[in-house]
Amino acid sequence: MMTKEKKINIFIVDDNKIFSIALKAQIETSFIKKPIKVYSFETGEACMKKFKEEEPQLVILDYHLNSNIPDAADGIKVLDWIKKKNSETNVIMLTSDDHIDIAVKSFKHGASDYVVKTETQFKKINYSLLNLFKMIEAKVEARRYKYIITGLGIGFALFVAGIIVIHIFRPSLLILPN
Amino acid sequence: MIQSESEKKIENVCDLSYLSETMSGKKKLIKEMMDVFLQQIPEELQSINDAIIKTDYPTIKNFAHTMKSSVSIMGVSVLKPILEEMEDLGAKATDMEKIKQLNQKLNLICKQGIEEIEREKHNYI
Repeated sequence: MMTKEKKINIFIVDDNKIFSIALKAQIETSFIKKPIKVYSFETGEACMKKFKEEEPQLVILDYHLNSNIPDAADGIKVLDWIKKKNSETNVIMLTSDDHIDIAVKSFKHGASDYVVKTETQFKKINYSLLNLFKMIEAKVEARRYKYIITGLGIGFALFVAGIIVIHIFRPSLLILPN
Repeated sequence: MIQSESEKKIENVCDLSYLSETMSGKKKLIKEMMDVFLQQIPEELQSINDAIIKTDYPTIKNFAHTMKSSVSIMGVSVLKPILEEMEDLGAKATDMEKIKQLNQKLNLICKQGIEEIEREKHNYI
Protein backbone atom coordinates (compact mmCIF):
# COMPACT_ATOMS: atom_id res chain seq x y z
CA MET A 1 0.00 0.00 0.00
CA MET A 2 1.60 3.31 -1.15
CA THR A 3 1.44 6.17 1.33
CA LYS A 4 2.05 9.77 0.37
CA GLU A 5 5.11 11.11 2.20
CA LYS A 6 4.42 14.15 4.33
CA LYS A 7 6.58 17.22 3.60
CA ILE A 8 9.52 17.59 5.98
CA ASN A 9 10.44 21.17 6.86
CA ILE A 10 14.03 21.82 7.83
CA PHE A 11 15.26 25.08 9.35
CA ILE A 12 18.90 26.20 9.20
CA VAL A 13 19.79 28.87 11.76
CA ASP A 14 23.27 30.27 11.15
CA ASP A 15 24.54 33.84 10.96
CA ASN A 16 27.12 32.90 8.31
CA LYS A 17 25.48 33.34 4.91
CA ILE A 18 28.12 31.37 2.97
CA PHE A 19 27.77 28.42 5.28
CA SER A 20 23.94 28.53 5.25
CA ILE A 21 23.75 28.58 1.47
CA ALA A 22 26.28 25.77 1.17
CA LEU A 23 24.45 23.65 3.73
CA LYS A 24 21.01 24.28 2.17
CA ALA A 25 22.32 23.37 -1.29
CA GLN A 26 24.06 20.31 0.06
CA ILE A 27 20.93 19.01 1.83
CA GLU A 28 18.67 19.64 -1.17
CA THR A 29 21.14 17.85 -3.46
CA SER A 30 21.79 14.90 -1.16
CA PHE A 31 18.11 14.28 -0.42
CA ILE A 32 16.62 15.22 -3.77
CA LYS A 33 14.08 12.40 -3.63
CA LYS A 34 12.81 13.34 -0.19
CA PRO A 35 9.86 15.74 0.22
CA ILE A 36 11.92 18.33 2.10
CA LYS A 37 11.81 22.10 2.18
CA VAL A 38 14.75 23.99 3.65
CA TYR A 39 14.49 27.46 5.20
CA SER A 40 17.46 29.60 6.28
CA PHE A 41 17.55 32.17 9.08
CA GLU A 42 20.35 34.36 10.40
CA THR A 43 19.04 34.55 13.93
CA GLY A 44 16.98 32.49 16.35
CA GLU A 45 14.51 35.35 16.61
CA ALA A 46 13.81 35.19 12.85
CA CYS A 47 13.52 31.41 13.07
CA MET A 48 10.93 31.51 15.85
CA LYS A 49 8.72 33.92 13.87
CA LYS A 50 8.24 31.21 11.25
CA PHE A 51 8.30 28.27 13.63
CA LYS A 52 4.60 27.95 14.36
CA GLU A 53 3.62 28.42 10.72
CA GLU A 54 6.04 25.90 9.21
CA GLU A 55 6.38 23.40 12.11
CA PRO A 56 9.84 22.14 11.21
CA GLN A 57 10.66 18.56 12.08
CA LEU A 58 14.33 19.46 12.18
CA VAL A 59 16.32 22.57 13.07
CA ILE A 60 20.04 22.76 12.32
CA LEU A 61 21.19 25.40 14.77
CA ASP A 62 24.51 27.18 15.13
CA TYR A 63 25.76 27.70 18.67
CA HIS A 64 27.20 31.19 17.98
CA LEU A 65 24.67 33.51 16.37
CA ASN A 66 25.89 36.96 17.35
CA SER A 67 28.51 38.00 14.81
CA ASN A 68 26.20 40.24 12.74
CA ILE A 69 23.77 41.15 15.50
CA PRO A 70 25.63 41.24 18.86
CA ASP A 71 22.40 40.97 20.88
CA ALA A 72 21.09 37.94 19.02
CA ALA A 73 20.21 34.99 21.22
CA ASP A 74 22.78 32.20 21.35
CA GLY A 75 22.12 28.64 20.23
CA ILE A 76 21.23 27.30 23.67
CA LYS A 77 18.59 29.98 24.23
CA VAL A 78 17.12 29.30 20.79
CA LEU A 79 17.16 25.58 21.56
CA ASP A 80 15.15 26.26 24.72
CA TRP A 81 12.62 28.33 22.73
CA ILE A 82 12.24 25.54 20.19
CA LYS A 83 11.75 22.84 22.82
CA LYS A 84 9.20 25.00 24.59
CA LYS A 85 7.20 25.42 21.38
CA ASN A 86 7.50 21.77 20.37
CA SER A 87 9.49 19.27 22.40
CA GLU A 88 9.37 16.78 19.50
CA THR A 89 11.34 19.00 17.11
CA ASN A 90 14.76 17.49 16.43
CA VAL A 91 17.65 19.91 16.81
CA ILE A 92 21.19 19.40 15.55
CA MET A 93 23.57 21.83 17.25
CA LEU A 94 26.44 23.09 15.09
CA THR A 95 29.61 24.75 16.24
CA SER A 96 33.17 25.47 15.20
CA ASP A 97 34.29 24.89 18.80
CA ASP A 98 35.12 21.32 19.62
CA HIS A 99 34.51 21.68 23.35
CA ILE A 100 32.93 18.88 25.31
CA ASP A 101 31.10 21.30 27.58
CA ILE A 102 29.19 22.77 24.62
CA ALA A 103 28.20 19.27 23.52
CA VAL A 104 27.06 18.33 27.03
CA LYS A 105 25.14 21.60 27.40
CA SER A 106 23.44 21.07 24.05
CA PHE A 107 22.32 17.56 24.90
CA LYS A 108 21.15 18.66 28.34
CA HIS A 109 18.93 21.26 26.71
CA GLY A 110 17.45 18.68 24.37
CA ALA A 111 19.57 18.64 21.21
CA SER A 112 19.34 15.37 19.26
CA ASP A 113 22.84 15.65 17.87
CA TYR A 114 25.95 17.79 17.91
CA VAL A 115 28.20 18.43 14.90
CA VAL A 116 31.54 20.24 14.88
CA LYS A 117 32.20 22.35 11.80
CA THR A 118 35.16 20.62 10.16
CA GLU A 119 35.96 19.36 6.66
CA THR A 120 33.53 16.48 7.21
CA GLN A 121 30.71 18.68 8.55
CA PHE A 122 28.35 18.06 5.65
CA LYS A 123 28.84 14.31 5.76
CA LYS A 124 28.09 14.29 9.49
CA ILE A 125 24.97 16.39 9.00
CA ASN A 126 23.83 14.10 6.17
CA TYR A 127 24.32 11.10 8.43
CA SER A 128 22.21 12.78 11.13
CA LEU A 129 19.54 13.58 8.57
CA LEU A 130 19.48 9.99 7.32
CA ASN A 131 18.87 8.78 10.85
CA LEU A 132 16.18 11.39 11.31
CA PHE A 133 14.35 10.36 8.13
CA LYS A 134 14.51 6.72 9.22
CA MET A 135 13.05 7.72 12.57
CA ILE A 136 10.25 9.72 10.95
CA GLU A 137 9.43 6.80 8.62
CA ALA A 138 9.48 4.38 11.56
CA LYS A 139 7.08 6.64 13.50
CA VAL A 140 4.74 6.82 10.51
CA GLU A 141 4.82 3.01 10.13
CA ALA A 142 4.29 2.52 13.86
CA ARG A 143 1.31 4.87 13.75
CA ARG A 144 -0.14 2.97 10.78
CA TYR A 145 0.22 -0.39 12.51
CA LYS A 146 -1.31 1.11 15.64
CA TYR A 147 -4.39 2.13 13.62
CA ILE A 148 -4.58 -1.33 12.00
CA ILE A 149 -4.32 -3.12 15.33
CA THR A 150 -6.81 -0.75 16.94
CA GLY A 151 -9.16 -1.35 14.02
CA LEU A 152 -8.77 -5.11 14.29
CA GLY A 153 -9.29 -4.92 18.03
CA ILE A 154 -12.47 -2.93 17.64
CA GLY A 155 -13.64 -5.27 14.89
CA PHE A 156 -13.03 -8.31 17.06
CA ALA A 157 -14.75 -6.69 20.03
CA LEU A 158 -17.80 -5.92 17.88
CA PHE A 159 -17.82 -9.49 16.61
CA VAL A 160 -17.77 -10.91 20.15
CA ALA A 161 -20.42 -8.40 21.27
CA GLY A 162 -22.55 -9.47 18.31
CA ILE A 163 -22.25 -13.13 19.30
CA ILE A 164 -23.24 -12.32 22.89
CA VAL A 165 -26.27 -10.29 21.80
CA ILE A 166 -27.41 -13.08 19.48
CA HIS A 167 -26.87 -15.63 22.24
CA ILE A 168 -29.10 -13.59 24.58
CA PHE A 169 -31.92 -12.69 22.18
CA ARG A 170 -31.83 -15.39 19.50
CA PRO A 171 -29.91 -18.35 20.92
CA SER A 172 -31.52 -20.63 18.34
CA LEU A 173 -29.43 -18.95 15.65
CA LEU A 174 -26.29 -20.22 17.30
CA ILE A 175 -27.37 -23.87 17.53
CA LEU A 176 -25.47 -25.98 15.00
CA PRO A 177 -27.54 -28.56 13.08
CA ASN A 178 -26.74 -32.24 13.86
CA MET B 1 66.61 37.80 -7.93
CA ILE B 2 65.73 38.70 -4.35
CA GLN B 3 62.08 38.94 -3.44
CA SER B 4 60.87 40.84 -0.36
CA GLU B 5 58.69 39.00 2.13
CA SER B 6 55.59 40.89 1.11
CA GLU B 7 56.10 40.05 -2.55
CA LYS B 8 56.34 36.31 -1.98
CA LYS B 9 52.96 34.75 -2.61
CA ILE B 10 51.80 31.51 -1.17
CA GLU B 11 50.75 29.11 -3.88
CA ASN B 12 47.01 29.04 -4.54
CA VAL B 13 45.31 29.54 -1.18
CA CYS B 14 41.90 28.28 -2.31
CA ASP B 15 41.16 24.62 -2.83
CA LEU B 16 37.94 24.47 -4.78
CA SER B 17 37.77 20.68 -4.79
CA TYR B 18 35.96 20.77 -1.44
CA LEU B 19 33.37 23.24 -2.75
CA SER B 20 32.96 21.27 -5.95
CA GLU B 21 32.41 18.05 -4.02
CA THR B 22 29.97 19.69 -1.62
CA MET B 23 27.93 21.16 -4.47
CA SER B 24 28.16 17.90 -6.44
CA GLY B 25 29.92 19.75 -9.26
CA LYS B 26 26.89 21.90 -10.02
CA LYS B 27 28.31 24.98 -11.73
CA LYS B 28 25.39 27.26 -10.99
CA LEU B 29 25.57 26.53 -7.25
CA ILE B 30 29.35 26.86 -7.19
CA LYS B 31 29.15 30.24 -8.89
CA GLU B 32 26.50 31.36 -6.42
CA MET B 33 28.75 30.36 -3.54
CA MET B 34 31.65 32.26 -5.10
CA ASP B 35 29.51 35.38 -5.46
CA VAL B 36 28.47 35.21 -1.80
CA PHE B 37 32.10 34.64 -0.76
CA LEU B 38 33.28 37.66 -2.77
CA GLN B 39 30.65 39.81 -1.10
CA GLN B 40 30.89 38.45 2.44
CA ILE B 41 34.65 38.17 2.99
CA PRO B 42 35.47 41.88 2.40
CA GLU B 43 32.63 42.77 4.82
CA GLU B 44 33.99 40.44 7.48
CA LEU B 45 37.53 41.74 6.99
CA GLN B 46 36.29 45.31 7.32
CA SER B 47 34.48 44.42 10.54
CA ILE B 48 37.68 42.98 12.00
CA ASN B 49 39.73 45.97 10.81
CA ASP B 50 37.24 48.36 12.42
CA ALA B 51 37.19 46.32 15.62
CA ILE B 52 41.00 46.49 15.84
CA ILE B 53 40.91 50.28 15.50
CA LYS B 54 38.34 50.45 18.30
CA THR B 55 40.16 47.80 20.40
CA ASP B 56 36.89 45.84 20.38
CA TYR B 57 38.05 42.37 21.42
CA PRO B 58 34.58 40.70 21.45
CA THR B 59 33.93 41.73 17.84
CA ILE B 60 37.38 40.51 16.80
CA LYS B 61 36.63 37.20 18.47
CA ASN B 62 33.15 36.89 16.90
CA PHE B 63 34.26 37.67 13.37
CA ALA B 64 37.40 35.54 13.58
CA HIS B 65 35.08 32.72 14.65
CA THR B 66 32.64 33.37 11.79
CA MET B 67 35.37 33.62 9.18
CA LYS B 68 36.57 30.12 10.01
CA SER B 69 33.38 28.74 8.47
CA SER B 70 33.40 31.20 5.56
CA VAL B 71 36.94 30.45 4.39
CA SER B 72 36.65 26.71 4.98
CA ILE B 73 33.99 26.46 2.25
CA MET B 74 36.59 27.67 -0.27
CA GLY B 75 39.21 25.35 1.17
CA VAL B 76 41.45 28.16 2.49
CA SER B 77 42.94 25.91 5.15
CA VAL B 78 46.02 28.13 5.65
CA LEU B 79 43.79 30.65 7.43
CA LYS B 80 42.51 28.23 10.05
CA PRO B 81 45.38 28.58 12.56
CA ILE B 82 45.48 32.37 12.04
CA LEU B 83 41.77 32.77 12.72
CA GLU B 84 41.89 30.39 15.67
CA GLU B 85 44.67 32.41 17.25
CA MET B 86 42.85 35.69 16.59
CA GLU B 87 39.70 34.24 18.11
CA ASP B 88 41.60 33.02 21.14
CA LEU B 89 43.32 36.38 21.69
CA GLY B 90 40.01 38.15 21.16
CA ALA B 91 38.39 35.95 23.79
CA LYS B 92 41.23 36.67 26.25
CA ALA B 93 41.14 40.39 25.31
CA THR B 94 44.89 40.50 25.10
CA ASP B 95 47.91 41.16 22.87
CA MET B 96 46.47 43.58 20.33
CA GLU B 97 49.88 43.81 18.64
CA LYS B 98 49.82 40.11 17.88
CA ILE B 99 46.22 40.43 16.63
CA LYS B 100 47.35 43.22 14.27
CA GLN B 101 50.15 41.02 12.89
CA LEU B 102 47.73 38.14 12.36
CA ASN B 103 45.24 40.50 10.77
CA GLN B 104 47.87 41.62 8.25
CA LYS B 105 48.39 38.01 7.20
CA LEU B 106 44.64 37.47 7.15
CA ASN B 107 44.08 40.43 4.83
CA LEU B 108 46.95 39.38 2.55
CA ILE B 109 45.74 35.81 2.19
CA CYS B 110 42.11 36.85 1.76
CA LYS B 111 43.14 39.32 -0.93
CA GLN B 112 44.90 36.53 -2.80
CA GLY B 113 41.94 34.22 -2.26
CA ILE B 114 39.56 36.81 -3.66
CA GLU B 115 41.75 37.25 -6.75
CA GLU B 116 41.80 33.49 -7.28
CA ILE B 117 38.04 33.21 -6.95
CA GLU B 118 37.54 36.14 -9.35
CA ARG B 119 39.65 34.29 -11.93
CA GLU B 120 38.00 30.91 -11.35
CA LYS B 121 34.48 32.31 -11.51
CA HIS B 122 34.64 32.47 -15.28
CA ASN B 123 34.88 28.69 -15.44
CA TYR B 124 31.49 28.38 -13.77
CA ILE B 125 29.32 30.56 -15.96
